[in-house]
Amino acid sequence: MKTHTVLAVVAALAASGAVSPLAHADRRQNSLAADVAVRHRRLLVKNRFEFAPLFESTINADFRHVLGGGAKLEYHLGDMFSIGVIGVASTSLDTKLVDKIVPTLMTQQEKQTMVGNGVNVREPSRDEFVDRLNTMPFHGAAYLSLTPWYGKLAAFGQAYVAFDFYFQAGVAFAQLSSNCPVTICSDKFPGTSHTIKNPDGTMDTVPADLNPNNDPPLNDGSRVGLYLGGGIHVFLNDFLALDLTVRDYAFTDNPSGADFNADLFVSNADNRFLHHLFFGAGISVMLPTAVKRTP
Amino acid sequence: MIVVLAAMAGTAVAQSKKKPAKGAKAPAKTPAPAPAPAPAKGSGDDAGEIEMNPDDTGAKGAAAGSAAPAGAGAGSGSSAVNPDEIDMGEPEKQQNDLKADLAISGNTGPVVATPIKKTPLSWQDIVVVIRKPFLKVRRTELFPFVGTTMNDNMIRHYSAGGELAYYLTDVLAVGVEGQYFAHSFQEPYDLVARQARRLPTLNEYKWSAALDFHYVPIYGKFAILDHKLVTWESFFTAGIGAGESEVIPRDTKFPGFTNLLIMPNVGASMRFFITKWVTVNLGIRDYIFYDHFEPRNRSETMFATAADAKDHAEGSLINNLMFQIGVSFWVPTSFEYTTFR
Repeated sequence: MKTHTVLAVVAALAASGAVSPLAHADRRQNSLAADVAVRHRRLLVKNRFEFAPLFESTINADFRHVLGGGAKLEYHLGDMFSIGVIGVASTSLDTKLVDKIVPTLMTQQEKQTMVGNGVNVREPSRDEFVDRLNTMPFHGAAYLSLTPWYGKLAAFGQAYVAFDFYFQAGVAFAQLSSNCPVTICSDKFPGTSHTIKNPDGTMDTVPADLNPNNDPPLNDGSRVGLYLGGGIHVFLNDFLALDLTVRDYAFTDNPSGADFNADLFVSNADNRFLHHLFFGAGISVMLPTAVKRTP
Repeated sequence: MIVVLAAMAGTAVAQSKKKPAKGAKAPAKTPAPAPAPAPAKGSGDDAGEIEMNPDDTGAKGAAAGSAAPAGAGAGSGSSAVNPDEIDMGEPEKQQNDLKADLAISGNTGPVVATPIKKTPLSWQDIVVVIRKPFLKVRRTELFPFVGTTMNDNMIRHYSAGGELAYYLTDVLAVGVEGQYFAHSFQEPYDLVARQARRLPTLNEYKWSAALDFHYVPIYGKFAILDHKLVTWESFFTAGIGAGESEVIPRDTKFPGFTNLLIMPNVGASMRFFITKWVTVNLGIRDYIFYDHFEPRNRSETMFATAADAKDHAEGSLINNLMFQIGVSFWVPTSFEYTTFR
């Protein structure tokens, strides 16, 4: 009896499920419901090359702002998807934080004098602090882009412009540079003990100095990581657009070149996966310059 | 809007086709007179005029229809519509031909001096504009929001607050806001202390309140994935207010002190219309103020008390840039248009 009841309920549910779509199909619907949102729309990106000279700057950099210029080259496969590459050559400026810290630090000479007098100085000298900071002379990305939103706006009831929002994801790459001279970054065996040969021929073991301030920063070289971006095109006409983007180049880095994990020496373990946020502004040139329209 | 424009345009075209259709229906009931060479549209005294009133259409259509060719009368205006009779192509072209209309009006006979009557000469002269889907005038916006600091990599403030704004017009509003702050320290705060052996001098924000003015110069819409249309607008804010900050002592054995701050603010925000009484707002606000920080070299013999430290505080102009997001509720929850569609 119980089995029969269960079967009946299942059958009823199945029947209601089968009937329900039919009922929906019979319901009268406006033909616009299944239509596209916009007709006779200018296809401002579809099947067009986009070349955009641009300017980029870091947002909230800890120690050094990265400012640079470059270009973006993108091909729009359709109305929504595109592929592209971006490359930016940059210079670096110290942040306000660095400007505030550095004057409070000792000079290298003052520190050496104190160390010579047997004082254990744990803070870096000015040179040890500044020379270990790295820069980013070049960075870029290769990415896929999705443009799910497009529209138009009226400014002050006068200027009517089209715009679209896009989101990007891909592979980031960066070239990092740090130039700490051997007079500052003088520890050849950071964090490890080593042996030296005495004048009499005997060998001595020198323990690790436990001073991360004279270790090489290990924060230069090439990096590959994750790229994420989001931005807006504001079309000035059929082929020129203002391109505003926030980009995140995420890769392993140690911007200060100092001991991060508090093991009293600098190693690759002090590098960590960091987000490098940039704001970019450019002018996009769409080629060919003529646009087509949707039906 | 384009869809609605297209729909409205379609409506207008459909109406224009009804006129000759009714005209064609009339001859079907009565014996049709012999076809005259006069054109199907704009014939007689109403040359070049487009009639919008369906009641008049029948009579005029009958007059015109008597002279209309059968093709022009395709599509019945009666309730019994035969879909096969509706022709969406040719008549539309004829009726939209301004040159033809002008030529017709010029060939109907000698010009008679009559008072100037402003009438549209073509359907192209009719502009259909969609109404704004959301009106704000004389409505009150209750905007609870949360926010976070964007431009301080030592200390991050989180805020929870609200704003009450009254829209004097559809683009101008006046409001009051208030928010309460909490904070957390960022990685560089620890890093600088550990690596450079320096303790950052920081203040935390406690609360703020302001009188704000909003101006809405940008209005737009966008389509999501080519199907869903969303309307939005962008507005600028300027305000004046007050707030309070408190010094975070570098050495916890010394007391901190508070500062009362004069806080003008400017900002830019976006508003997305969800329903007639709910919107989603997000934006950036810059709170500008002159803050006072703990003096350097504070010790048991120097600036030890809060009053002494405050007297020797170091000042600095601060831009506290905050990202804010929230959901607005509008009262009254509905509105009426003041103009006809």
